Amino acid sequence: MTIPWEQVHGAMTHFPIALLLFSTGCDFGSLVLGEQLRRELRRVSFYGLIAAALGSLGAVVSGIAITQGDLWGRGDMLRHHQFIWPAFTLLIALSIWRLIVRDRVSRVGLWIYLALMGLASGLMAAAGYFGGELILRGG
Amino acid sequence: MSNFLEIKAAGAAAAIASVMIAATFFGAGFYRAQGENVGKEATPPAIAVNKGKALFAQSCAPCHGKDADGGEDAPSLLKLDISEAHISLLVHSGIKGEMPSFTKKYSDGEIESIVKYVKTLGK
Repeated sequence: MTIPWEQVHGAMTHFPIALLLFSTGCDFGSLVLGEQLRRELRRVSFYGLIAAALGSLGAVVSGIAITQGDLWGRGDMLRHHQFIWPAFTLLIALSIWRLIVRDRVSRVGLWIYLALMGLASGLMAAAGYFGGELILRGG
Repeated sequence: MSNFLEIKAAGAAAAIASVMIAATFFGAGFYRAQGENVGKEATPPAIAVNKGKALFAQSCAPCHGKDADGGEDAPSLLKLDISEAHISLLVHSGIKGEMPSFTKKYSDGEIESIVKYVKTLGK
C-alpha cells in the first residue's frame, strides 16, 4: 500500500500552524484578562502548544517523505524550509520547556517565553505561507 | 527556585530539540541516500525518457538551453542535486518570478517523463 504523503502532509500541517498561533494568542490574551480567565487561558494555551508539537511531528515526517529527504530545495520550497526548520526547533523546545515548568514561571521567564512564542508563530506562519504558495500557484 | 527550574528546563528543552532536529536531518539524509541508491540500480524506461526529451525541447530548452546547460535567465540542469519528487513539484508549481507552472500544459505522466529525462542529464 502506498501512503499518499502529499495528502497526509496537507492534513497534518494545519494543526501545528493553527494551534501554535492559537496558543500564542491565548498566552498574550492571558496578560490582559482577570485572574480566573488568565488561568483558563494558560491551560488552553498549554494543551494547544503540546498538540501543535505532536502535530508537527507528523507534518515533518510526511514533508520529508514528499521531498524524498531533500531538506532545502529551491524557490518557494527553499523559503518554506528556511522558515520551517527554525519554527519546528523552537516549537519543540518551547513545548518541552512548558511541559517541565507548567505554571511555575517567573515574570522574566514569562516574557522571554512569550517573545519566543511570538517568534515561533511568525516563522511558522511564514513557512505556512510559502508552503501554500507551492501548492496554490501550481493551479 | 522558579528561576532555577526555568533555567534547568531551558537546558533540557534546548538539548532535546537539538537532538530531534539532528535526528530529523540525519534521518532525511539517510532516506535520501537510500532513494539515490535505488535510482542507481533502476534504469528509467527509455520510452518515458525519450518522451521527456521531446517535451523538454519544446518547453524547457528555450530557457534552460537545448543541452540543458543553462541560458541567460535559467540555470544549468546538468548537475541538479535535488530529488525527482522535488523536480516534479517545481515543474508543477513553477518558481515565482523565475519559472512558469506547467500543471495546466502537461499531464502528470508528461511531467513525470520530463523529470525522468532531466534526471538522466549530467550522468
